[in-house]
Amino acid sequence: MTPPLVFENVPLGRIRRSTIGGPAHLPVDADGAFSLEVQAHSTVVVVGDETSGVNLLGGLVLALDRVPEGRVLVLGTEVAVLDRLAQLAFRRKLGYLPAGDGLLQNLSLRDNIRLPLHFGSDYRPRDIEGRVDVIVAQLRLTRVADRRPAQTNAEDRRRAALGRALAFDPDLVILEEPFDGLTERAAAELLELARGGEVSEGGRRTVFITGQDLPALLRRRVDRQVRIRRGRIEIPA
Amino acid sequence: MLGLLIGVGRGTARWLARVGALARFAFEALGSLPTLPGAGRRVAARVLLNQLRFTALQAVGLIVLLSGVLSYLTISATITQLSRVGASELIGELMVVVIVRELGPLLTALAVVSRSGTAITAELATNTVLGEVRALEGLGIDPYHYLVLPRLFGCVLSVCILIVLFDVIAVFGGFLAAVAFGGMSGARYLGIVLSNLTTQDVVLTVVKGLIFGTVIGVIPSYEGLSVRQGPTEIPQAVIRGTVGSIVVIFLFAALIVAALQ
Repeated sequence: MTPPLVFENVPLGRIRRSTIGGPAHLPVDADGAFSLEVQAHSTVVVVGDETSGVNLLGGLVLALDRVPEGRVLVLGTEVAVLDRLAQLAFRRKLGYLPAGDGLLQNLSLRDNIRLPLHFGSDYRPRDIEGRVDVIVAQLRLTRVADRRPAQTNAEDRRRAALGRALAFDPDLVILEEPFDGLTERAAAELLELARGGEVSEGGRRTVFITGQDLPALLRRRVDRQVRIRRGRIEIPA
Repeated sequence: MLGLLIGVGRGTARWLARVGALARFAFEALGSLPTLPGAGRRVAARVLLNQLRFTALQAVGLIVLLSGVLSYLTISATITQLSRVGASELIGELMVVVIVRELGPLLTALAVVSRSGTAITAELATNTVLGEVRALEGLGIDPYHYLVLPRLFGCVLSVCILIVLFDVIAVFGGFLAAVAFGGMSGARYLGIVLSNLTTQDVVLTVVKGLIFGTVIGVIPSYEGLSVRQGPTEIPQAVIRGTVGSIVVIFLFAALIVAALQ
């Protein structure tokens, strides 16, 4: 069985942005090619410093960025070669929590969670409201759900961003720097929420996390942690 | 000399590339309309209503002021001169040609660019810098659906509505000025204006509203979403969006006049 996420010889130093909007990337000090397989129902963390290319991996999975060589297979599909509309449709099969939350500041937390369901499904309004209520309750956001991101704390914002990522109950979740600024307890709780319980095939979600570091409490809870340096996985001495 | 030619060539190439990117952006935005899902339409409609409130409703005061002052200045400055040479009948043609057909749409578009065009660029540039647009795309939400189309249609509708308002106020302002300063009876003034107003003028006004509104919806959105370097680029994007919109609106106004001659 093909792993849900495969990076094959991806040269992170030659990445190009392929989205409509988005800030430019920091320069990457990378001369190697990145390869990694993420097995189904596992939690894999890739850490590295800012210039290592670690912050590009999430965008590559979602084909928000592209590389001239190598390929990234997501649920058996090379998303980068699809046309724009097909890419958008494919991304709805995944959960994505971007670095810095990416919550829309002019919407409440509840509206932020609601948004992908409105634009990514043909659910009836009543079904959307029901799904949003479940997510809000599950993430313990009921008290602050109607506030805008700037009126809430970092933990609630991160929860809301995770709730938005889980709106379609995806099998594969991509989390970029999800634990920055959180206490270890909050980070551990967030990780458990992302992994979820039983999904359709009877296992937990596959979770792919990138960041500069992983809180000590979480190191025992993930299945694999690798460090990236100069665009390739660092092999411990 | 060679350096000058190279500079001109590079500048032209950059300009053409920008025009091409802008055209592609506009076609992609309009082309995304059929793929807007049913539930998304309701959200987009809410954003559209919000845009109408900001662009049309909140601009009514400004348009009334601009239109009233312009018609007052035009009529009060010309009616005495026209009466002296026995050409006061020309006041109607002057109102229709100068204000209703040309200056009305142009000034309305400029007012909308200065209020809403700048706001659209700044808002979308902020969305971009904060990573919100990238997050939308990462979640499978088309930024054209949520961010661009409601603003584009909001601008088109608003400009059309405001041009009609501008023209109505201008004609009414001219009526007051003609009666107060020109010694003309109200019925005569209205008769002259209405006899000079043709169906072509009305159609042309609507066409200009559609074109200018599209320009104001597309260029500021494009510039806002093109920000890459961070918050310091936002003011530059606003300038590019505003100046670009004004230039294109003037070019279209000239092209329409040239095409009709």
